[in-house]
Amino acid sequence: MGRLKVNKNPNLTIFLGIFILIMIVISCTFANAIAPFSPIEQNPVDRLKSPNLTHLMGTDQFGRDVFSRVLYGGRRTLVAALLATVVNTLLGTALGLIAGYYHGKLVDRIIMRIVDCLVAFPFIVLAMIITSLFGTGLVHLLIAIAIVWWIPFARLSRSVTLKYKEEPEILAAKVAGASDVIIMIRELLPRIFSPAFILATFKLGSLILSMSALSFFGLGAKPPTPEWGSMLSDSKAYFFQAPYLIIGICIFIFFTVLSLNLIGEGLRDKLDPFEIIEI
Amino acid sequence: MSLRNKSIVSKLVETGVTLLLATLVLFIIINLAPGDPIRILLGTPEVASVNNQVYQEKYQELREAYHLDDSILVQYVAWMKNVLRFNLGDSFYTNQPVIIELGKRMPATLLLTIPAIIIQLTLGIGLGIISALKHNKTIDNLIRLFCVFLSSLPGFAISLMLLYLFAVRLKLYEISHTVSLMRLYLPTITLGIISSPALIRVVRSNMLEELGKQYTAFAIARGVKKRAVIRGALKNIMLPIMTLAAHSSVNLIGGSVIIESIFSWPGIGKYALDSILLRDYPVVQGYGFLMICIVIAINLLVELGYIFIDPRLKRPERKIRWGG
Repeated sequence: MGRLKVNKNPNLTIFLGIFILIMIVISCTFANAIAPFSPIEQNPVDRLKSPNLTHLMGTDQFGRDVFSRVLYGGRRTLVAALLATVVNTLLGTALGLIAGYYHGKLVDRIIMRIVDCLVAFPFIVLAMIITSLFGTGLVHLLIAIAIVWWIPFARLSRSVTLKYKEEPEILAAKVAGASDVIIMIRELLPRIFSPAFILATFKLGSLILSMSALSFFGLGAKPPTPEWGSMLSDSKAYFFQAPYLIIGICIFIFFTVLSLNLIGEGLRDKLDPFEIIEI
Repeated sequence: MSLRNKSIVSKLVETGVTLLLATLVLFIIINLAPGDPIRILLGTPEVASVNNQVYQEKYQELREAYHLDDSILVQYVAWMKNVLRFNLGDSFYTNQPVIIELGKRMPATLLLTIPAIIIQLTLGIGLGIISALKHNKTIDNLIRLFCVFLSSLPGFAISLMLLYLFAVRLKLYEISHTVSLMRLYLPTITLGIISSPALIRVVRSNMLEELGKQYTAFAIARGVKKRAVIRGALKNIMLPIMTLAAHSSVNLIGGSVIIESIFSWPGIGKYALDSILLRDYPVVQGYGFLMICIVIAINLLVELGYIFIDPRLKRPERKIRWGG
């Protein structure tokens, strides 16, 4: 009977995800060529226009074109989210690797204790507390993210390490006199790479969602820099008058996160390296 | 002492340590924050409109009263002692004890989250199992599409759209600040639905894995009824599902902040968010403490559940034979 296939055609899923992601990244990177209007120039005559052919996503309370602002804003949001994810992936993987390699030793116990203790904070609550105490803004939001976002990576890399560290190749390397550092970097790290990469694509998506939620409540980036989060919190007051302001940004967020989820799912189903729990 | 009792004791001790450490982290974060709490409490000398001498004296007096010149560990112990006497400090804005302010809003939150958790678990486990049993059929594809779609949209966006649809377009939902059953259904259902996809996905993959194992194949080959095979597989994935259900309930509690604010449901989540925007630190601290306790309690319940379900831990220790 064999193992049941989770997904019939993972290649198609991955391709679709990469396609959407590339479209979004290109349109945000070349925003100055694509965007029809300036993202900061105010035009009071055209304020709060609903979507039409000139303004694809309507205009905001200052008459600025929402579509152009979303394109420009995407740069900042995507770069911030990507940076946070990369840092947390590296940090979490390294700590998990060390904890797994020295399983049961003091280092492992300390790292796992920190994990246990940070897991007790619901992320959104922790982020709210930090941004409220240290001041709102993208940097503080990223600090709040950095405190907890490495945990899933640490857990994943620890369990992968535990799974492989008793394998014959690794024992052989040890007998041949390889140092712990060499074994960790040359033997174990490559095995962690693909599950960590898949987890990172999922986490990048959920990071963008969390950032947008926190910004929506006024805890993220500050206006006037166009950034998806700050645009969301600006548009909140006009929601019942002009729901399209929020819908426009959400469409972009949706497609970005969707593409990342598709890539992650496709890769997981294709490679199936290790069970990845993305809760 | 049986193995079970031993495990229970060690779990309790571990939980106690985690609780202490987590509250210590919370305490340190709050103490690292810039700004002098006494100045916030008193206002700056100009605002307080008293002469400098009196202000300085009062300032010193309060600093001593709040133990602000002691080391952080001493302060933590003092705070913990107060917490154990159910004293979480007073709100800066209403001057009411934080615990009373939180307690007043707790029923509304429970009314919202408990049915939401039930909806989430029913959807998560139910759809996850259906999806696994009908894998790669139309219904499975629909469920997976639903999951991908929901987990790619921000929760607040879904809530706002539903609010707009029900309140503005259909006029079925009343926008106000009161607690009533007529205002409960929309936030509860929304919260339950938006937090279900992760659970559905994990239940599905666990179930698929179990159904692909050799014992299932053997059972089918032997002619065991389909229903019995499914029941057997379900029993085996109960433990992982319990953990995941607990994790996702924790996520749901975090998500309730968003839902409460959008639907202006007067629970503790909305209160905490409002207090954050008003910089009412004691309330923020109290809320953080409460959340940590809830999360740790949920995790403890799951761990204890594990111990009670696991049959290997039933017998007294000495009779256990591992292997041959």
